[in-house]
Amino acid sequence: MYVYDMKKRSMQEPTFLILTALAAGPQHGYGIITDAERISGGVTRLQTGTLYMALDRLRSARLVEPDREEVAGGRLRRYYRLTDEGAALLAAETERRRASAAVAAQRLRARLAGGTA
Amino acid sequence: MPARDPAGAAVLERRYLRLLRCYPPTHREFHREEMLGVLLAAARPGQRTPGLGQAVNLAACGLAIRVRRIPGWLAADAGQDALAVVSLIAPAVVLILLALGRGAQAATAAARVPFWTQVLLVPPSLGGWVVVMIAWLAVVLLGLTGSRGAAAAIASISLTLAWLAVLTAGVQQSVSGGLVQFLGSAGDVPVFLTSLAACSLVFSPGPRRGLAIVGWRRACFMIAGLSAGFGFPWIVQLADPAAPVGDLAFRLLGVLAIAVAVAVTRVRSPVGRRVAGLVATGLLPSLAVTIPLVDYPGGWDLVPLLVILLVAVLVWPVAIVSWLGRVRRASRAG
Repeated sequence: MYVYDMKKRSMQEPTFLILTALAAGPQHGYGIITDAERISGGVTRLQTGTLYMALDRLRSARLVEPDREEVAGGRLRRYYRLTDEGAALLAAETERRRASAAVAAQRLRARLAGGTA
Repeated sequence: MPARDPAGAAVLERRYLRLLRCYPPTHREFHREEMLGVLLAAARPGQRTPGLGQAVNLAACGLAIRVRRIPGWLAADAGQDALAVVSLIAPAVVLILLALGRGAQAATAAARVPFWTQVLLVPPSLGGWVVVMIAWLAVVLLGLTGSRGAAAAIASISLTLAWLAVLTAGVQQSVSGGLVQFLGSAGDVPVFLTSLAACSLVFSPGPRRGLAIVGWRRACFMIAGLSAGFGFPWIVQLADPAAPVGDLAFRLLGVLAIAVAVAVTRVRSPVGRRVAGLVATGLLPSLAVTIPLVDYPGGWDLVPLLVILLVAVLVWPVAIVSWLGRVRRASRAG
């Protein structure tokens, strides 16, 4: 099960970006891609194949679910939303990253202060 | 995609649709329209062909999803039904291939010794093939009469002999006569199909279920088609004993014959797709035979030998995963 795996290894960047994009509210595929690029500061642009492979996996693990569908320009748009399980996992991952970043920041401060070379 | 180039957009859409065929049918059914929408929305103005990176990403992700779904694909009811169909057709194909192989051997030697002399005066140490043909006839008949366990036991014994024959090929060649050579000749069976037949008999509802799914006519057609595909070299040798069946071009023709046989006998249903997938695994050993790189001391080519053994072993976990799926469903229902 994906949730079980996530407890043992860190979340992949595309998954983190997708869950973060959906944390603000339901979004459709193209919206997730543009939002993920914004969140990553332009560093990561999700490819369509990667996005839908991740969505397929996240949907199976019940971390995201379809919200609604609408037709725009003659094309189907499906919106996805974060489930409570998905939000909990994102919160845990955010905390883990925050803790790692805090350690990194602390060591860099010590290095700059001349503690280690 | 700007509306000023509708023809270009149509071309691009067609090309993306072609790439989306890499995805499993159920994924396509659910996501195709929205994926197409995203792909076209992200396209550059005037773009008519998918970028290389985009194309590789779509193909790789589609294939990755297919691979990820294999355990579920096998564990579904259709997986067990497919194995049941395989347990019906594979033993019959093995029996026919044994007969074809023996016939081809007799045809190539007929110029030197009359056929019936070869049959009647066969040395006891080389008579394993007679026993093994009777054994596979028994497997087919026992399977059809509902004695799946007995059929599975005989098929497994034959497979064990085949393993021993492969692993002791060198020993057999240095020994003339005796039990070792008898067992060697009894193990002279198509290893992959024997393995497929044995594991499908052990881990499926059995040939009677397979017959209920495909019916007599379809089963006979599949058996005939697959026998023709897998037995292509021997059929040619029967027609022309001097045919150069060992040549590379001929071996490649053999691979093509199997591919055609799998495609022609394929049934367009979830069960049929799984049956074709299982049987098509036999293409790997045939392909490997076309790339002999290193000679093995027993006269075998090492690469084909390893591929045959690997594929013959791998069909067992596949069958076990499928069987475990059925057990799990039964325990949930019970």
